[in-house]
Amino acid sequence: MSQTLALTRIETKLFVREWSGLFFVFALPLGLLTIFSLLGGNDGSDGIPVSFLPSMAIGIGIGILGLGTLPMMLAGYREKGVLRRLSTTPVRPVKLLIAQLLLHLAAAALVIVLILGVGSLFFDAALPGSPLRFTVAALLYCVSQLALGLLIGGLVPTAKAASIVGNVLLFPSMFFAGVWTPGDLMPESIRWLRDVTPMGAGMSSLQDSWSGGWPDGVHVIAMLAVTAVSIGVAARFFRWE
Amino acid sequence: MPENDLVVVQNLRKTYGATVAVDDVSLTVREGEIFGILGPNGAGKTTTVESIAGLRSPDAGTVRVIGLDPRTRRTEITSLIGVQLQASELPEKIRAREALELYASFYPSPRDPAELLEQLGLTEVRETQFAKLSGGQKQRLSIALALIGNPRVAILDELTTGLDPQARRDTWELVRQIRDAGVTIILVTHFMEEAEYLCDRIAIIDKGRVVALDTLAGLVDAARSEQRITFRLPAELPDNAILTSLPAVRTLTREQDRFIATGTDELLVAVVTELAGRGLAPIDLHTEHTTLDDAFLALAGRNFEGVER
Repeated sequence: MSQTLALTRIETKLFVREWSGLFFVFALPLGLLTIFSLLGGNDGSDGIPVSFLPSMAIGIGIGILGLGTLPMMLAGYREKGVLRRLSTTPVRPVKLLIAQLLLHLAAAALVIVLILGVGSLFFDAALPGSPLRFTVAALLYCVSQLALGLLIGGLVPTAKAASIVGNVLLFPSMFFAGVWTPGDLMPESIRWLRDVTPMGAGMSSLQDSWSGGWPDGVHVIAMLAVTAVSIGVAARFFRWE
Repeated sequence: MPENDLVVVQNLRKTYGATVAVDDVSLTVREGEIFGILGPNGAGKTTTVESIAGLRSPDAGTVRVIGLDPRTRRTEITSLIGVQLQASELPEKIRAREALELYASFYPSPRDPAELLEQLGLTEVRETQFAKLSGGQKQRLSIALALIGNPRVAILDELTTGLDPQARRDTWELVRQIRDAGVTIILVTHFMEEAEYLCDRIAIIDKGRVVALDTLAGLVDAARSEQRITFRLPAELPDNAILTSLPAVRTLTREQDRFIATGTDELLVAVVTELAGRGLAPIDLHTEHTTLDDAFLALAGRNFEGVER
């Protein structure tokens, strides 16, 4: 346990020292929230629900953690022999994975606190109607994205490859999640994709919690399926070196 | 097993697909010595020490470290062996002190990180990030990490490759100090000078086999007393054993119609007498005397990259 804690402590420091990662994870969602709040006045008058903007910002922040920073970190460590070096010590390398997951969960929590806090303090945005249901939705979404991150980070050979694969997944994810086409603006024929991609399902579930609803069954199944498949494949094929 | 044999490798074999990395390696490392594993690139040195460290599972043969199997007794072995690996880095932004403190937390009875930084001359760069350290500093930090767990055996793989001559000499002094402090060292190198300078005993590995294993003095003597002759024969040799069974003959190889025999200084007389007795007087007979430096090349079998003199 103390080994995991020591690793988590150091990994957190290293994470904080990586400016570009920090920017995308925290500044980008916060920037989106700020700009659209100032531009649109997030009051629901334009037909876009007030829950959309904070859900989108949180969805993107957590998406970048899962598709960007986590797989790049893991693939980079394997590429440079950091994991190999670790396996010659009494520590099992899986503890580094646990440390990374804890760190990314904490970063996700921070993204959520930032978005909800800044939204409610500065832009008078409504908070989720049901904190419990919001937490369930956020956890499901977070776990599915981080599982995807483990999968990518476990399979691709280099940090560069991880960043390419991550980006290739991130942008379609955002598109199908309806980041640019909230609510009814998304063409009907592809709305089903919003329900089954993890970011779409995650954002929809987060939005539901604003009006006090539980996540929709389809969304829950989609997120759990992505989690299970990702972890299953990663566990089978994860390469330590 | 004698009590002071710390590492015992017997008939180790390891292949990667069709490539034979280690064909047949046996060696023992004694407590308190600096044991050199010398050989050209691709000889199987790294695979051998990775097997000792438990990073590779042998296809055949056994490895024991203080009587333990490195593959099945990971917890004990990783605490007993400190490893400095080729091509293993630290995260770019970790500071020297942080890396040592982190690794210290992995071991049951670690050394004091501050003391080790001091001993390795890293105190001034203790707050410097790994990526900003010089080659020599990175290498010293890597040695510090190999020692932080208070190991009985330290494996140092190509530790001076890429260092300038001064940094190399400093590192050598350091290795001696570490041994004098009671740590047994397995040193992998392709620098002959390094092995000569540091090692108590040396195994020369080539093409996955140990071609010689002795003290430096022993290797030199063996090389001096070794004779090598080449010849052709007027007719087929009925059986190689006619020659290889002679006590003076150590090896007999054949390149097209030319025989090459090595052995003791009785070699020439023994071979010629035996062949003449069978009516096979050798033709085009040459004897070759190897110089000391050539002897190492001869023992290692082929071109030896990195020989500096």
